[in-house]
Amino acid sequence: MKKMLTLEVNGDVHELAVELDATLLRVLRDQIGLNGPKKGCDSGGCGCCTVHVDGKAVYSCVCYAHSFDGVKVTTAEGLSSGEELHPIQAAFVDAGAVQCGYCTCGMMMAAKQLLDECPRPDEEQIRHGISGNLCRCTGYAKIVDAVKLASERS
Amino acid sequence: MSQLNVVGQSLERPDAYDKVTGGKGYPVNVKLPGMLHAKMLRSPYAHARIVSIDASRAERLPGVKAVLLPKDVPQIKFCPVFFVPVQAPSMVLDFDVMNGERVRYVGQPVAAVAAITADIAEAAIDLIDVEYEELPAVFTPEEAMAEGAPQLHDEAPNNIAKTPFFEYGDLEKGFAEADFIFEGTYETQRVHTCYLEPRVCVVDMDRQDNVTIHVTTQHLFGTREKLAFALGIPETKVKVVKSPYIGGGFGGKLELTAMEPVAALLSKKCGRPVRLEQTRQEDFITTTRNPIKVYLKTGVKKDGTFTARYAKSILDCGAHATHGSEVIMVHGAFGLFFNYHAPHQKWEGYTVYTNNMIGGGYRGYGAPQGSFAVESQIDEICTKLNLDPIAMRLQNARKQGEPHPFNPAFTLATYGLADCLREGAAKIGWEKARRRDKGSSGAKKRGIGLAVHPVWVSGCMGFPDIYEHSGAIVKINRDGTADLATASMDIGSGQIATLTQIAAEALGLPAGAVRMSSAGDTDNLPFDAPTHASRVTYSSGNAVKEAALSAKKRLLEVAGSMLEVSPADLEVSDGKVSVRGTPSKTLSVAEIAQRAESPFVQMTAQGPQPTVMEEKGTIIGLSSLAPKSNPTPCAAQFVEVEVDTETGEVAVLHAVYAHDIGRAINPKAAEGQVEGGFQQGMGYALMEHIQFDPETGSCLTTDFLDYKMPTAVEMPRKIDSIFIETDEPTGPFGAKSLGECCVITPAPAIANAIHDAIGVRFTQLPITPEKILRGLGKI
Repeated sequence: MKKMLTLEVNGDVHELAVELDATLLRVLRDQIGLNGPKKGCDSGGCGCCTVHVDGKAVYSCVCYAHSFDGVKVTTAEGLSSGEELHPIQAAFVDAGAVQCGYCTCGMMMAAKQLLDECPRPDEEQIRHGISGNLCRCTGYAKIVDAVKLASERS
Repeated sequence: MSQLNVVGQSLERPDAYDKVTGGKGYPVNVKLPGMLHAKMLRSPYAHARIVSIDASRAERLPGVKAVLLPKDVPQIKFCPVFFVPVQAPSMVLDFDVMNGERVRYVGQPVAAVAAITADIAEAAIDLIDVEYEELPAVFTPEEAMAEGAPQLHDEAPNNIAKTPFFEYGDLEKGFAEADFIFEGTYETQRVHTCYLEPRVCVVDMDRQDNVTIHVTTQHLFGTREKLAFALGIPETKVKVVKSPYIGGGFGGKLELTAMEPVAALLSKKCGRPVRLEQTRQEDFITTTRNPIKVYLKTGVKKDGTFTARYAKSILDCGAHATHGSEVIMVHGAFGLFFNYHAPHQKWEGYTVYTNNMIGGGYRGYGAPQGSFAVESQIDEICTKLNLDPIAMRLQNARKQGEPHPFNPAFTLATYGLADCLREGAAKIGWEKARRRDKGSSGAKKRGIGLAVHPVWVSGCMGFPDIYEHSGAIVKINRDGTADLATASMDIGSGQIATLTQIAAEALGLPAGAVRMSSAGDTDNLPFDAPTHASRVTYSSGNAVKEAALSAKKRLLEVAGSMLEVSPADLEVSDGKVSVRGTPSKTLSVAEIAQRAESPFVQMTAQGPQPTVMEEKGTIIGLSSLAPKSNPTPCAAQFVEVEVDTETGEVAVLHAVYAHDIGRAINPKAAEGQVEGGFQQGMGYALMEHIQFDPETGSCLTTDFLDYKMPTAVEMPRKIDSIFIETDEPTGPFGAKSLGECCVITPAPAIANAIHDAIGVRFTQLPITPEKILRGLGKI
């Protein structure tokens, strides 16, 4: 059973036939071909799949795609414009916040939501803002540094 | 050490840009034309005989392309651990891919399906009817060793897979000489590495048995050897493709599991590539850190000098020994036996089968379990005898210049433990914190704790049957840059940065001029041991340096010919070759490489002219070598905690980690290793625990909602990394390795800090709020 769906993803409009039980993550990865949203647990526990739907961060692995007809989705690929990195991406690179990189794209989308709502967060706000996203490499220290850096630069 | 230009700089990781813009190079992204999707059916019983399997309903489901049953799988027993030979005599050869007669744990694969979609494959495995005859199961090593217990493997009476021991001196005499004797039992739990990229493989196996595999692995050549053996085909039939990145490993991707051979055999049946991705639930029951119960008895003089140490360790290896054969050895050697001097010592280990899930590799590899016992008990000794915990440790520790305890052919040429302790103590304010009021009036009590890891492996040379050598290819390009190719996998550990920095330094090229090749496979790369232990910076670093120096030698030969001077008179710096003492005579590396790869006969105004034949040929360096030594890193960990005596919660406020790593190749990358290692160690100390239903043996912690690991909120607000640079003479530019000490020390350091805060000693991990409240007598 499929349903037709229109999604604007990173500025491109896609007309898609999606299975009723297909998650947004699956559609973004398997039908649209993006690498940024990643499957870490497929159960809303790790945050690797975090994307923005109409400007709000969601775990795309626990959302049915068919319920998102007509929305705008932004993934890590959509943060940068052309060759220019988004300030959050640049800050993650500069702060050394990227190790294996598997959590990175989701983590940046969580950071973006935080900075959109609170452009000058203190450390506690940063830590709570990214606490829905797991990382196993960094101990979060340089991720917190990166979010601070992105905030200072913008 | 001469002036370093590239090594020692916190250069940007070359892989970071791609990873923040989506991240292309993970195995999870691999898609091949015509690819099918597979799922495995797993046993719901902890111990049962398989009576029959009927897959006819699954085969009829539209979209199903093949069903794989045990009868289709070679019934070969082997050791799936990557860093040892597949039939290593020191290991236990009891693992098979899909046993047709018996299941020994909940989750053991019993069948698999390939279909045009993963959903259809999932639906099809539900249509496979398996009749089981349930057998009595056993879930603790003590029960498993008891008389009358169900026997899991015929060749292991009393379910004991392995019983190593080490002994020297006269234990009785040593205990008789002691002024005090301390005894205790220390227990650790089963935890998962929690790499975030799930285990996945895409395999193409044709009907002539040629296999190409893309897979989440920490070891290309281990995957090749074990997969070929499991399939019963020659090793060179298997090509393992190097993925530029792996989304974390931490030891959790260090063995062949059923996934790879199952996908291969399904691919052969269908004549199409097959992708098999495990769910997080499957990953949780695939590998784990083995729980170990340690009984430790120590005899000490009044001044804290050890007179005798005895330890007995019981390791629960689950249904198959796999890593449990080796973890027990590393645990005994580097967790317990060699870390401090004691004139009389004995250790005995037991690797015991149970109907639990299989164990596996995990950073520290047996040492965290041992260190928790040793470093906790030292704290008990210091408290009881009123000894200074720093001085007491140094009194019993080894000293620089002593023989390496594990292999006397090596020397502890660099050993900075005293500096680690001194600098770490100063950073956290140890003396002041030890004397301060614990906060007697409020509910929150503060405490400070210490643990050290005195002897560890930097490269594994010394254990029997362990692969250790590394190789590299360095090729200088016509634009003056260089390519580095190695089979060493970057699993987040940073060698894309550190190995290219080592190569650039050795070649005399500027930062950023060496690129890690993103392509390669087991057909065209030199053999390499895994990304495991604490070895890559040291062992692979030495191989990369050697290959770079070999390329540099050839570069100077060509330059010498071009400049008509002896290569011995030339030096390379910042991408330029110049005659020593005559800076005007200079060539760029690019000019030299262009000359080397230029046509032999070149057209000139006077017609075709031959050029110098001796200058021709790509400038390339190769290496394949074993490490020169086994220089031990060593480390001291200090933590400050706050214990809420009302809720039982423990907050780690500050962590200081001082580490002798010889030299930091990329200090920021090194800090990242330490900070991440602390998260894993802190999770082990306070919250992480794979739990099972005690009746059925099925896993209860199957996702990150039930399995708790520290988030950014639980982590300390301050982690200070101190690197003691002792300039190891056998290391690449003085470096030793880093990966594991930082995971080993947090649990005992935190337990010791909790004791300092509330006066209660915890000997079972994890130290949950419930245990704290029980320890305080509040529940």
